[in-house]
Amino acid sequence: MKLRPFYAVLERELVRMIRQRTRLVAAMVRPLIWLLVIGGGFNSVVGRAHGLNYQDFLVPGVLGMTTLFGAMLAALTTVYDKESGVMRMMIVAPLPHAWIVLAKMVSAALAAIVQALLLIVLLVLLGHFGNGTNWALLAAAVAAASFACAGIGMLTASFSRTLDNFAAAMNFVIFPVFFLSGSLYPVESLPVVLKRAAIINPYTYGVDFLKHAILPASVPTDFSVGLDIAVLAGFSIVALTVASWRFSQESAYEPMIRVLTGKPS
Amino acid sequence: MNAPQIVTTPAAIRAEGLTKRYGEVLAVDGLTLEIGTGQFFGLLGPNGSGKTTTIHMLATLIQPNAGSAEVAGFDIGRNAVKAREAIGIVFQESALDRTLTVAENLRFAGLLQNLPPRTISERSRELLELFGLGQYRATPVAALSGGMRRALDIVRGVLHQPKVLFLDEPTLGLDIPNRRRIWRFIERLREHTSMTVLLTTHYLEEADGCDRVSFIRKGRLVECGAPRALVDDLGKHILEIEGADIERLVARLEPKLGPCLADGDVAMFRWRQEDITELVQLQSELGAKVRSWRVRRPNLNDVFLWVAAGKELRS
Ligand SMILES: Nc1ncnc2c1ncn2[C@@H]1O[C@H](COP(=O)(O)OP(=O)(O)O)[C@@H](O)[C@H]1O
Ligand SMILES: [Mg+2]
Repeated sequence: MKLRPFYAVLERELVRMIRQRTRLVAAMVRPLIWLLVIGGGFNSVVGRAHGLNYQDFLVPGVLGMTTLFGAMLAALTTVYDKESGVMRMMIVAPLPHAWIVLAKMVSAALAAIVQALLLIVLLVLLGHFGNGTNWALLAAAVAAASFACAGIGMLTASFSRTLDNFAAAMNFVIFPVFFLSGSLYPVESLPVVLKRAAIINPYTYGVDFLKHAILPASVPTDFSVGLDIAVLAGFSIVALTVASWRFSQESAYEPMIRVLTGKPS
Repeated sequence: MNAPQIVTTPAAIRAEGLTKRYGEVLAVDGLTLEIGTGQFFGLLGPNGSGKTTTIHMLATLIQPNAGSAEVAGFDIGRNAVKAREAIGIVFQESALDRTLTVAENLRFAGLLQNLPPRTISERSRELLELFGLGQYRATPVAALSGGMRRALDIVRGVLHQPKVLFLDEPTLGLDIPNRRRIWRFIERLREHTSMTVLLTTHYLEEADGCDRVSFIRKGRLVECGAPRALVDDLGKHILEIEGADIERLVARLEPKLGPCLADGDVAMFRWRQEDITELVQLQSELGAKVRSWRVRRPNLNDVFLWVAAGKELRS
């Protein structure tokens, strides 16, 4: 097994993440705004439940948001790679082409994990994190949620040909996935249609897993940890398989190589 | 008694009936080709003749509809990953990450080729020096000029010391000084390594330095040989004339000079002898009927024109 090519893709992702400071700052500011402004605002409207105010309830949700956005944006750079020369460098490498998909997915998950860690540090400093957290469970939850989000991203990327689709993906994938999960409210309390949507949304299980790790045991969650892990792992594997299959189809039927190598005149 | 042993140097590239169809278009049509190890081979043809499609099939990036090929001894279908290990390719379009620096790009490309980081930095230093990019290691690729970017693209393509290098129109879109520079780099590379090179270009005159060239037209190979021999076979001189009543001129000259290639107002004839006194006499006979009269040496462009026109080259 060749590890260096794999490492190359991960390293490039991290270098780019650190270099694009604004992307990183936005990834920190976005969840903090939700937590401090929206969470803080609703605190006075929504009462306490199970000894928890709304802002505390929101912590797993905003942490999940970071993994979702972090992984999605990193996975969607695959589309950018297709349009720039980068995918050309990767397809000539002596690896099965499915490996490129795997490496991209792992690097997207890694980007999400790094951003989640940064946010956790910020939340601890702000005093919104730490009480009653099960750290081992948290590590597992962040990793599982990040991989599942990377899977959503790779699926989206494998079905979008151009960067124009990128904006569409943001609106039509990230936001529904975020809002139709248990991030902002318990799934239990949703109306039937939305509840069904939340139940088939793999991201819901990521947020639920984070709740198990972060919220006190007295707070009821929607699913069991076992189910969360099963759904997240299962979905990640399915997403990887489908994205790899799409990718190999694309190069077999060649629209991609045509995009990559320029239209012959 | 020992059976006589047949020693054959394995061909670096061997293609057999390679065919690629895109809907109605036969991009490559039954291409059969053998390129010996260490050769510098030119695949020449106009835009849309199937050069890029041929290279992409040989580089295992697209699958042929029919036919087979081996590169460095590996079947491009069954053994694609092994074949890619032996291949370097410089695409018509750049294959670089514009957001990374020169050195970072080479590191990324080298790691993808499974090279150890030490080797990558040693080789990139050497190659960047060789290609005149020594002082740009820390420059973002986006800040390089087109010519420098092409040079870097070639460095990227040879970093892992491939046995077979594909160069798809390495000078396309560059101005003349930059084209010359790129050719100098390719020359230097040939001096330093022994790899087999398959080059495509539609600037036919650039292929003079190839060991062998093939002309491709509408997906089919039409002629193959050493550039000098092809040019010599064509004739010693090309006579180009222009005149108002070109048809009558041609009718008058063809019995003496053989078939001509007509292109609008211009007609071209081949002249097989070194001695051109007869041509000079002819010129004075025709006098003012000819607007312009030029005798020059043939080049690969002429070879292609005559081949394309379907004239018998060795008649
Ligand atoms: N992916 C593709 N889909 C459809 N037609 C294609 C594709 N790639 C190449 N072609 C067609 O095949 C022919 C050969 O193209 P190409 O190999 O790029 O020529 P060249 O490199 O010699 O300019 C052209 O007519 C081109 O339009
Ligand atoms: Mg081409």
